[in-house]
Amino acid sequence: MSLTDKQYKELQSIVGKRNISRDPGVLDGYRYNLSHTAIHLGPHFDVLTPRPAAVLLPGSTEDVQAVVKFCNKHKIRFKPSSTFWSAQGYPNDNETIVLDMRRMDRILEIDAKNMIAIVEPGVIGATLQAETMKKGLNCHIQGSGCSCSILAGATAWLGSGPGNLYGGWQYENLLGVEWVLPTGEILKTGSLGNDDSAWFCGEGPGPSMRGVLRGMFGTKGSLGVFTKCAVKLHAWPGPQSLPVYGKAPAYTTKLPSNFRAYTLGFPDWKAWAQTAHLMWDNGIGYTAHRQFNFLGRDLKWGMIQILTDPDKTISDLEELIQEPGFKEANDSMKIDFQLIIAGMTQRDFDWQEETLNEILKITGGYIVECMETDTLRNYTLLYLLRLGHKALNLVYGGGYDGNFGMINSIDFGAQRAEAAGAFKREWEKKGQIVDAGGDCMMGPIGGQGGGGTGLWENFTCFDSADRESTEGTLAFFDASFEYTKEEGWSGCGFEKLNAMARGYDGYETPREIRDAGHRNAPQPDVFRFQNKVYQSVNPLDLGDTYYERLED
Amino acid sequence: MELKDFTKEIERCSACSYCKWIPFDHVKSIRYAKNCPSIDYHNFNSYSARGRYLTSRSILRDQVELTEEVMDIAHTCLSCGACDVSCKISRYNLEPLEMTRALKAELVNKGVYPEAQKVLLANLKKELNIFGESRKKRGDWARDLKLKDLSKEKAPVVFHAGCSYSYDEKLSGTVRTAVKILQNAQVDFGIMADSEMCCGARIHSMGHVGEFEKLAKANIKAWEKAGVTTIVTACADGYHGFKRLYPELGANFEVYHIVEYIDMLLKEGKLQFTKEVPLTVTYHDPCHLGRLGEPYEAWDGEEKKFKNQIVVHSPRKPRYNGVKGIYDEPRNILASIPGVKLQEMERIREFSYCCGAGGGAKESYPEYSQWVARERLQEAADTGAEVLVTACPWCKTNFSGSQEEQDSMQVMDILDLVQQAL
Repeated sequence: MSLTDKQYKELQSIVGKRNISRDPGVLDGYRYNLSHTAIHLGPHFDVLTPRPAAVLLPGSTEDVQAVVKFCNKHKIRFKPSSTFWSAQGYPNDNETIVLDMRRMDRILEIDAKNMIAIVEPGVIGATLQAETMKKGLNCHIQGSGCSCSILAGATAWLGSGPGNLYGGWQYENLLGVEWVLPTGEILKTGSLGNDDSAWFCGEGPGPSMRGVLRGMFGTKGSLGVFTKCAVKLHAWPGPQSLPVYGKAPAYTTKLPSNFRAYTLGFPDWKAWAQTAHLMWDNGIGYTAHRQFNFLGRDLKWGMIQILTDPDKTISDLEELIQEPGFKEANDSMKIDFQLIIAGMTQRDFDWQEETLNEILKITGGYIVECMETDTLRNYTLLYLLRLGHKALNLVYGGGYDGNFGMINSIDFGAQRAEAAGAFKREWEKKGQIVDAGGDCMMGPIGGQGGGGTGLWENFTCFDSADRESTEGTLAFFDASFEYTKEEGWSGCGFEKLNAMARGYDGYETPREIRDAGHRNAPQPDVFRFQNKVYQSVNPLDLGDTYYERLED
Repeated sequence: MELKDFTKEIERCSACSYCKWIPFDHVKSIRYAKNCPSIDYHNFNSYSARGRYLTSRSILRDQVELTEEVMDIAHTCLSCGACDVSCKISRYNLEPLEMTRALKAELVNKGVYPEAQKVLLANLKKELNIFGESRKKRGDWARDLKLKDLSKEKAPVVFHAGCSYSYDEKLSGTVRTAVKILQNAQVDFGIMADSEMCCGARIHSMGHVGEFEKLAKANIKAWEKAGVTTIVTACADGYHGFKRLYPELGANFEVYHIVEYIDMLLKEGKLQFTKEVPLTVTYHDPCHLGRLGEPYEAWDGEEKKFKNQIVVHSPRKPRYNGVKGIYDEPRNILASIPGVKLQEMERIREFSYCCGAGGGAKESYPEYSQWVARERLQEAADTGAEVLVTACPWCKTNFSGSQEEQDSMQVMDILDLVQQAL
């Protein structure tokens, strides 16, 4: 069923002629190529998400409400997306209309005193951070990077990232929300529900809906439209603007002496995990992330040299890894993570650094020598603070996804990292995925609440233009799933987490497959509860299968 | 390269949207964080490089009709290359600018391009300039300067004025300053006078590759006949054409923009600014002088894989990401003029925002082109500068023509400032 001319004109009258299209040439810009990276779906060669029925660019909450009411009247599904980072932001049938939230991109307020920012969906990490820094504050930027919507990270997905240490997960920062329900009514949640100007709390006074509206993984664009939200901001003891030096892509920064980036190396995983625990116990660190290992245990030193030298290209990697001294440098950061200390004062910085040195003495960790140049330290600082190089995930062949997702205690991941790497290394030998050394585990050192947990994924890179490579990657993900299931690891199926929502053809999966998957989850009642939420706020089923629910 | 040659690349675009923003490390405000005028104005994904990859995929597979909207998706690209710089912050095996040029060329070959371009092509055919002005008047701007006419004489250096400087009377003072500087420096140079032809770079940016090649080959032949080894121009479009596009056709000339020449003369002490010009200015980097002004590097190689699936090139492929463009020279000149104070905009150098005149948009989509110019004028005004300085006649003309009555910002060619300081 496509939109009738009458329906199309009705929508046109809501958003204006310039802000709607059903031209296939435009609509194909709203399809996602599942060949390269589908984010926890598994790549499917030569498959695009379905072409939507129309795309609209609403400019206000009133526009959104009117469109949603139209959808209720005509029983038409809609899918909002802010920055379209992954397949879950795209429709999974041809009848859905897409709401591209790009035009709603205002920062409505930065309340420095109360450390709150009120934003629309199109505000991204980079722009909010730039504006908050002017006021001595920082926002949490989720792991998908600063190109992504702050609102989406807080409402529609997990929002974990390198900044977890200072910012928690993004959903923890979610305060008041303006929510156009799937029925077209507007609900203001948290303190906002009690007072139109009170954005300060996600849990009330007023309807305490944060947990309800997000569910376990976030709504993934399937439960109405969030048109505004407030997020908690965090302290920023740095300059009002990040100074940037150097030539692309090797940009670096130089911050005052209360900032420093470190690459820490460890003799074994036990020392690695102990260091994380002692950091949390002593409350040191601003950002901590096992970052550059996503480039691969065997390749990362070569890639770091390429990324920090504007005259080098990826074609230099082959020679770089043969150079004298490469192996020694690379091996020195075999088991590693990156840490930024940001002192609220110089004295605070000095104390944190001294504490770090004491911790390293206890655990046997060390500061990796080859990363101790001004260029590399300052590159690391800028990289992790702004998180503006996330597309490097795709640097090798255009395709990547993460498997062995371990959302658990930091010890859990540390105890399994070698086994996960060894399993992947065997698959690398088959030739379809990049031979990067098995261990490409990356993720934050700190999770909910800033500490205690980690969220790891082992990056798998492949050539999305190569059928054999793409299909080989999918086979590896299937094997990973079986392996982790046999081993009883948590995070089992992380690499295909969204496969319950979308099938190999790009369309939605049949209900029996979704239900079977959710029934086998460790806590299926969570999804039964989410089904009740869905049915109560979305009685006409105008969302899609990305909102996870068990319908039995 | 033809569009079909980008088939693999199309599958490797990750739709990350980095092409819509300036390099994120450089974002200083929400107001000036975006880089692509095309999607800034039209808003649909399809009007960005990531969208154009998908539209191209559908065209190659005959999954879309070549509607007016598809034509607009391709031809509203200003070919400014901002997407290219941002994409290559993280990627080494994508060429979004080259792909979009191929998309335009594909549509042009199928006869799908704006009506306005048909007029330009007819003008070019008849008068060898896109304005349709008489070719006999091309050299009028220099008639009294007693310059060598290289259609009859010989010299190692040719000064190429370009269509805009040759015919726009408002710009004739500017271009005359350029040649006077060369005269004062006793450079043995000449002009092609009435025999000068359009460089073709503008129609190349619209996808009319065949027409461009005809013009380029004719220019190369004429210069070779005149014994030319060096080209100097004050036009950024021409500079890009001569520096980057002509060598692909076998040209082998040294190429200078006039700002490079002036900077060189300043450094050698052969030129000094004596008069104070008490102005606060901001400098607009023309796309074709900046990020598209990088020198051509010959490459004849192929794609190969390493470590199973890492896509590399053998031999190493040249990387055009804007860093070798002309940025310091104009700033050196401004710094050398007594009294001039430079206030930089947020989007500068390789991530400068386009003036809106590129890719044929000025002629085909004038309302959009002017909107883009006003965006940039606002950014300039926000610096507190009194004057927006640039080094390209197309930029200057588009800025000036897009100003509204209440706008107080002056727009000047850098040569006009130079003239005031001499």
